[in-house]
Amino acid sequence: MLELELDVVRGGFALEVALSLPAGPTVLVGPNGAGKSTLLRAILGAVPVRRGRIVLEGITLLDTARGVSLPAERRHVGWVPQDQALFPHLSVAENVAFGSPGAGGRVRAGAMLEQLGLTRLATRRPGALSGGERQKVALARALAAGPRALLLDEPLAALDAGTRETTRALLAETLRTLAIPSLVVTHDARDVVALAAPLVLLEGGHVRASGPLSVVRSAPGDFARSLLGTMSRPLDTAAASGNE
Amino acid sequence: MRARGLLKLGGALPALAALLMVGVLAVPLVALVLSTTPDDLLDGLRHPLALAALRLSLLTTTVSLACTLLLGTPLAWWMARHPGPLERAVATLVQLPIVVPPAVSGLALLLAFGRRGLLGPLLERAGWALPFTTAAVVLAELFVSAPFYVQSAAAAFRRLDEDLLWAARSLGAGPARRFFTVALPLSRPGVVTGAALGWARALGEFGATLMFAGNLTGRTQTLPLAIYTALESDLRPAKALSVLMVVVALAVLLLLGRANVSEAIRARA
Repeated sequence: MLELELDVVRGGFALEVALSLPAGPTVLVGPNGAGKSTLLRAILGAVPVRRGRIVLEGITLLDTARGVSLPAERRHVGWVPQDQALFPHLSVAENVAFGSPGAGGRVRAGAMLEQLGLTRLATRRPGALSGGERQKVALARALAAGPRALLLDEPLAALDAGTRETTRALLAETLRTLAIPSLVVTHDARDVVALAAPLVLLEGGHVRASGPLSVVRSAPGDFARSLLGTMSRPLDTAAASGNE
Repeated sequence: MRARGLLKLGGALPALAALLMVGVLAVPLVALVLSTTPDDLLDGLRHPLALAALRLSLLTTTVSLACTLLLGTPLAWWMARHPGPLERAVATLVQLPIVVPPAVSGLALLLAFGRRGLLGPLLERAGWALPFTTAAVVLAELFVSAPFYVQSAAAAFRRLDEDLLWAARSLGAGPARRFFTVALPLSRPGVVTGAALGWARALGEFGATLMFAGNLTGRTQTLPLAIYTALESDLRPAKALSVLMVVVALAVLLLLGRANVSEAIRARA
């Protein structure tokens, strides 16, 4: 369980969010500039929080009232930013093992490479990978560190259509089997369907609606309506094909 | 007809200017190398003045480089991470020794660390007398060379992708691990270039050393000072040491070029 109450002010933008995320994936949607990436960075500890509290599995990561703020390196929150931020000077294997040094860590990293089908790329540098491969390496790197929560910022946005389908299926399966809360930012209705996860709709720095897709769709506002529009077709396709 | 002639002249003039520039830069070095026979070189390098100066220069530039790295790296890192008015003031201060004339640097060092200088009494009480010692040579070299390193390293650190450091943090890496496994390897070209340029500048340091450390064989007489001294008696060691320094400078440049090229190849791989 990841519980958070955040009040973030950046420039002229204000983010005010209270959420409670159960284990398993939650999808974060919203128009550009809604504060999605800022929310992820605030949970990570990369953005100063004016007021608020973050509690992850009973551990307080942040409590401004009590002056508690764990540094990012002690929060155990996995983060996959939009551009993956892979270490360009390290091989795929070294990237994945970065968060778990030591012999045990190497074993875990090896298992993670195997699980995501990356073993044959182990010695390559990130610069020599395709978009889909980079995304998988970033996911493997975050998971190999044994995080207590996972934050994914538009994990599929940069991929071409073919790669996106297969990577999406892999991502959905991986996140479903994880026993930790994960927050996935996306613009793509098909991701929502594939992840079959509860939604949070963020708009203008505020949670407009949250819950299952059916509830969020009926939320007032333009974005919910456009979400409904883009989502109805893939939803039907998904239902027809059974499994996307 | 005249217009075409002018046009032709207009095309030839810049080429002529460029050629002249190359000449001005190349002719002195060519003259130095041509006037030095292999025998001159061997005799010159065997001269007692030369050996002592070579040893002293190697020692002092190694120590000043070590000081530059140890003190300059944290400063460069701080400058890159804390942009603002204070950082800009520090950056200007760091740049000053690059543009200040060496004689001014020498006088400034004397007024700071000399017996009657700002910190002189303090140093005297501690039992230290800096001027005209080998330590003074190191200090003069540090003063004139560290800015090259700090500037280059800070610029490299500024170019780092912030998200890589946040990714490292999200994977549990503390400050030391982030610096040594992510920031430093990724900033290597800038750091190495700065260190090499700084070292070369320290090796060539003359004016400030002469004023602040003097010209004592074996104690403060570095290569440039030995060349200057030899001019008055025997030209051979002066020529030999000069050729040696040109070769060393060339080696530094080639090394830097190679390092940057291999870095570019690595980045593309």
